[in-house]
Amino acid sequence: MTTLEAARAVGPGLDRVDAPMKTTGRAPYPNDFSLPGMVHACLVHSTIAAGRVRAIDTTAAETAPGVLAVITHLTAPQLERGPMTLLGPSPPAPLQGDRILHYGQHLAVVVAASPEQARHAAGLVRVDYEPAEPLLDLHDPRAAVVTNPWGLDSDRGDIAAGFAAADVVVGGSYTTPDNTNNPLGLMSTVAAWNGDSLTVHDSTQWPHNVRTTLAAVFKIPESNVRVLAPYVGGGFGAGLRVWPHVILTVLAAREVGKPVKLVLTRPEMFTAVGHRPYSAQQIRIGATRTGELTAIEHEGVSPVAMDDDDYEPVSACSAVSYACPNVRTRDRQVRLNIPCPGSMRAPAEGQGNFALESAIDELAHELGIDPLELRLRNYAEEHPLLGLPWSSKALRECYLQGAERFGWSRRDPRPGSMRDGRWLIGYGLAGVSYPHYQVPCQARASLHRDGSADVRSAATDIGTGTYTIITQLSAELLGLDVSRVHFDLGDSDMPYAPQAGGSGLTGALAGAVHAACRRLVQEFLDVVRDDPDSPLRGAALDDVAVSQGRIHRIGNPDQGESYTDILTRHGLEELSADGRSTPPQPDAAGMATAGAFGAKFVEVRVDPDLGLLRVTRVVSAIDGGRILNEKTATSQIVGGTVGGIGQAMFEETATDAGTGRIANATFGDYLVPVNADVPDMEVIFVGGPDRATPVGTKGVGEIGLVGVAAAVANAVHHATGRRIRSLPITIDQLML
Amino acid sequence: MDHVDVTLNVNDTEHHLRLDARVTLLDALRDHLGLTGSKKGCDQGACGACTVMVDGKRVVACLGLAAQYEGRRITTVEGLATNGELHRMQAAFARHDAFQCGYCTPGQIMSAVCLIAEGRAHSDEDIREFMSGNICRCGAYPNIRAAIRDVVAEA
Repeated sequence: MTTLEAARAVGPGLDRVDAPMKTTGRAPYPNDFSLPGMVHACLVHSTIAAGRVRAIDTTAAETAPGVLAVITHLTAPQLERGPMTLLGPSPPAPLQGDRILHYGQHLAVVVAASPEQARHAAGLVRVDYEPAEPLLDLHDPRAAVVTNPWGLDSDRGDIAAGFAAADVVVGGSYTTPDNTNNPLGLMSTVAAWNGDSLTVHDSTQWPHNVRTTLAAVFKIPESNVRVLAPYVGGGFGAGLRVWPHVILTVLAAREVGKPVKLVLTRPEMFTAVGHRPYSAQQIRIGATRTGELTAIEHEGVSPVAMDDDDYEPVSACSAVSYACPNVRTRDRQVRLNIPCPGSMRAPAEGQGNFALESAIDELAHELGIDPLELRLRNYAEEHPLLGLPWSSKALRECYLQGAERFGWSRRDPRPGSMRDGRWLIGYGLAGVSYPHYQVPCQARASLHRDGSADVRSAATDIGTGTYTIITQLSAELLGLDVSRVHFDLGDSDMPYAPQAGGSGLTGALAGAVHAACRRLVQEFLDVVRDDPDSPLRGAALDDVAVSQGRIHRIGNPDQGESYTDILTRHGLEELSADGRSTPPQPDAAGMATAGAFGAKFVEVRVDPDLGLLRVTRVVSAIDGGRILNEKTATSQIVGGTVGGIGQAMFEETATDAGTGRIANATFGDYLVPVNADVPDMEVIFVGGPDRATPVGTKGVGEIGLVGVAAAVANAVHHATGRRIRSLPITIDQLML
Repeated sequence: MDHVDVTLNVNDTEHHLRLDARVTLLDALRDHLGLTGSKKGCDQGACGACTVMVDGKRVVACLGLAAQYEGRRITTVEGLATNGELHRMQAAFARHDAFQCGYCTPGQIMSAVCLIAEGRAHSDEDIREFMSGNICRCGAYPNIRAAIRDVVAEA
């Protein structure tokens, strides 16, 4: 049902429409807002991971200069936990008791006239703990285990028979560490009450979720809450939930009767806004001598916080990636005294793909089959679980065109066989089948008498390019120059939009904008339906096309008129229309709704004496459906790849085994990729618009990250003969 | 708490401020002068988002107290454009899509402008090395280099 003409793909790379704001420093991020009379909050955290607050002495803090309030569990009002959301339960409400469940838990909020005074006073709060022994080890037998947490465990065929039929079985234990999202923007909240109305600037990826949650927690109508997030300093998942610090800021503002600003510190970003949890995985793959997969068995276990939830089905990727008749996937969660994990760019997929695609590479090596060829031999022409054809799938083209661009055929399969001077060279590959995700969305489009259009939806642009691509799409759908279209977002007073997450916003929002723009054109046709002066009189939507600010009959551009003429003749200032999108229903359409597919080709260099590892080339071949803007989509893939390089080589949040303290909660200690770590890259987009949605996009926010770790590890194996099964791949693992 | 009288010369304008002595240069710019283009990404001198130019050199504004910058010539991202026209580096960043969320961008741009002034942008290797104090978590590094190369080539 793709209704945009393929020939008019919006594609080519328009510069970001928000570039002037961002390059001049004028783009207002949440912590850039200052309000008259505003005061500042600072948090006090638990320094133990389990136990109780026996006593909390706030006397010195309360009498420190500038202090307006110190709120603890002893003085905080009763707050209900936020409501269930699309992404699961809200985090526990803060300051509701003396129980300590993790290191970094908020124990008090201090409000003072200046940030310096608030910080100083927060340091004066004295907490007397009654510590308990924390559960911090995934394998601790005392820890509660949640089996099949999301009902996604899968069984296909007969796994025992599959392994019995195998000539070769490979497998092993893989681990991925805790990673911390660390968007560069310190997550911040500015809250201002006016009577029982509330305005909040927040570093959120989902303004409506903040509105709904704050209305429920503070027992006010949703219409009394306005949440603004026109610019957000990244998120990578950290802004998906309404974290306790947001609620504390709003509470503080109510208590002191003034607007309050809270800016999290970088160390707080490690404990207060989620993280990608550690995973321990077991994977086994069986195949015939000729490389036909006979069995895949994949189990994953990850930690989850004591009184919270996280969606992390690590093994699920193994159920849908290959045409293997016998597959068994299992996931478990173990409850520990840790800061709550949460989605981090490509949750679950980023971890699970590392094990799956490493094991496929290992199998190829064992069989003596080229890793690319092995993947093609087991290509899933249909959705392996649903048994339906995909709504689109160009993974084969990803493999073939990516290989061509990369020069995969130059690869000598023997490990350690390729060198450049003393550097060992390795080529590695990984395939990615990213799941489809979409939830309902709304938008509103208006056309004014001057021929300009406004389009609005309460989405966010966390760097993804949403401002730009929706401006382009709206211009396309209304037949206007992009300079005549203003797309606005980031305000909960606008029509409902879901989160920027799950690679699902572009599809949902594009669908809603498509519906709104089509309905808007229909509104114009309705106005001239009986208008004897209109060349469009009596025309139906399917009879017309739009271009250059005009509606005209298809095939006869002269028979039409401009929006401006219609509005002027009928004495109207503007016309508006609402649109909504809902997720495609795969069964009804007889096809499996596809997410993006991709192939990552990586060249590494390893210094055999020093164990140095360098990523020197990356080619990403991506089937992202319709690409609305090649420039911003390419940036999504490049940026995801940089995140993947971080996962592969650098990032590991270190928890002190005895105390649960995050031991490296700074950018000096938690290593992220910097400029010198990242090579120039090539990105190619293959395939075409997806059939399941009107616009045919598939979402490319996360797929760039997935597969990088496996491709790097596979390249390391090719360079050195070492199979690294534990991320990040560090120098000590490569000393030869 | 002790206060200090400070005169800051920012973007060719003198500002007379009375500040809590603990106020950093970054917070003075952001909270007291309303120049919020310089960003706070770590407050520990490790991310580069607050990079400003002081007497022609790169400085991370979160690591110094405002009082230390009396009499120094400070340029922030707000002071780069002249007569409403973007600095070449700003235009190159837009052209090359050298940012995504945009939060690190003012710091990257200030760092890039200084890099060229320092004579450290002659090779790709130099650019990579000497831009490594500015973290871009969205991962726009290749495009940041392309923007800088472009400006170097224009010069």
